[in-house]
Amino acid sequence: MTRRRTWASRLADAAIITVSIIWMLPLFFAILMSFRPQRDPITNGNIFFGSTLTLANYMSAWEVAPWPAHYANSIIFVVGVLVVQVFTITMAGYAFARLRFPGRNLLLGIVLLQMMIPTGVLLVQNFATIRTLGLYDTQIAMMVPYWGSAFGTLLMRQAFREVPYELEEAARIDGANWAQIMRHVYIPLTIPSYVAFALVSISSHWNEFLWPFIVTRSAHVQPLTVGLNKLYQTSDVGALYGQLMAGTLMVIAPLVILFILFQRRFIESFASSGIK
Amino acid sequence: MAGTAQTRAATDAGMAIARPRKSLLQILFPYLLIAPTLILVVMFTIWPAGQSVISSLYRPPRMATGEPTFVGLQNYIDLFDPTHYIGSNFTQVIINTLIFTFATVLVAVPLALIFALLLNRRIRGLALWRFGLFYPALLPLIGAASIWAFIYSDTVGLLNTILRSFGLSGQNWIGNANLVLGSVIVVNIWKQVGYYMIFYLAGLQGIPRDFYEAAEIEGASTLQQVYYLTLPLLRRTTLFIMIIAFTFGFQTVEQLQVLGGGGPGVRSNMILYYIFQNIQERRNAGYVNAMTVILVLILLVFTVSNFLIFEREEKS
Repeated sequence: MTRRRTWASRLADAAIITVSIIWMLPLFFAILMSFRPQRDPITNGNIFFGSTLTLANYMSAWEVAPWPAHYANSIIFVVGVLVVQVFTITMAGYAFARLRFPGRNLLLGIVLLQMMIPTGVLLVQNFATIRTLGLYDTQIAMMVPYWGSAFGTLLMRQAFREVPYELEEAARIDGANWAQIMRHVYIPLTIPSYVAFALVSISSHWNEFLWPFIVTRSAHVQPLTVGLNKLYQTSDVGALYGQLMAGTLMVIAPLVILFILFQRRFIESFASSGIK
Repeated sequence: MAGTAQTRAATDAGMAIARPRKSLLQILFPYLLIAPTLILVVMFTIWPAGQSVISSLYRPPRMATGEPTFVGLQNYIDLFDPTHYIGSNFTQVIINTLIFTFATVLVAVPLALIFALLLNRRIRGLALWRFGLFYPALLPLIGAASIWAFIYSDTVGLLNTILRSFGLSGQNWIGNANLVLGSVIVVNIWKQVGYYMIFYLAGLQGIPRDFYEAAEIEGASTLQQVYYLTLPLLRRTTLFIMIIAFTFGFQTVEQLQVLGGGGPGVRSNMILYYIFQNIQERRNAGYVNAMTVILVLILLVFTVSNFLIFEREEKS
């Protein structure tokens, strides 16, 4: 009985390890390709290390697009979205959690519409709005639709509700104003929710392509994903897959490394989210 | 000065005591807090959604200076008319979108459950195996697709190289109209499974251990425990995952930029990407708005049914 279970359990181990290795193969071969010479693509019986390794692909990929600018733009985009979001979701989250006012449920319903109709789907009209506002080809154009977050508002509403109300009262008796109460009572007690929100927000915007691509034209404002698109356009023609893999790895590395460092945090955050 | 007024307003409202007189600032305080979020939601969700509905009823002018003409539902009729230049494409695009979404959900969600069950055990190197399954979810779609562009390349691609080394013939995975949609679906399943798995892992953590101990004492085998205990307890999780998987499916299109651009023809194109491709085509302005409305309606059906199902679950 015990022995049988052990075998079953070993079989289960082998199954999930095999699947996981298969899932990692694309990344493995992307890394391998990125270090192989351009003139020596993988060939029959030579898909592994049958050749010299080189950094040439990284150097040629580096020349296709202004990568330092793209890195900076991705960081500005992600941080610029998140910083404003922290303010808007804190304010709205608190109002919906702790204040009573006429029209509260209606207004919450309106905010929640954003979760039902994702901003990314309304490309045509949002593009028109960006044009009308004169924001085309700016960093702000990429960020502004995301500054308000229904998901973040709901998340903070939930978190603030779990803070004992007595703490707010006590702070008030000590003469604290609203901003001080937020800073010294609510925000410190809900840091895990902010972290969860930040990780989800950062990873979704770091990876975003279509919207930034539509509202920008100049490389000096475009993020990494748009740079990768350009690299693809130039690499595909000559089947320069080593160069394409090198560029892809440069784009995905920061988030993957961040994930490896904070794996538990990331997984908990994603589990607490319904959006990406 | 404003600080103390705000404080009082917050106290009043928070404690829900209707004092006889409130200053204007006190009354406005909650609305001021919500205003930024509300304005942004109106500007980038409600206004564009309404504008899409209105614009979808008009046909753009022939010349840039003209006025658009009201055509009622004609744009929608054209979209579903297989003999019309846009309709012949759009019917294919909508079929692709449905196949892509359903295939992804029906394969990825059960796989995610199996992976979660296998991973939710004592296992050496857990963090590594979990990383292996989850990392695709962290990649930008366009980056994941770039890796697969190399795998699928018909000349120097990994897949064909492996096939040929076994004496099989390589395929043009992206260029062949019969294969391309399947190739794109595989990429999406590979990318999404780990994300859905995370929700199942969280759901499994929530099941108390003594449930299983009781089942064990009753003599239930592991498979019986999964079938009679785990699956029913994960019903809500499954429902939640299905809903987000469906809504993602309809929006997941960025990979097409790298994997075939929706082609050959429109054989792998999907609604949102088709909208994106036509965004600058002035003569199709009415059509892209109608397509947007159709896409929004499809998404609403899924999210609203989600809310209704959960409401009913709560009550029972």
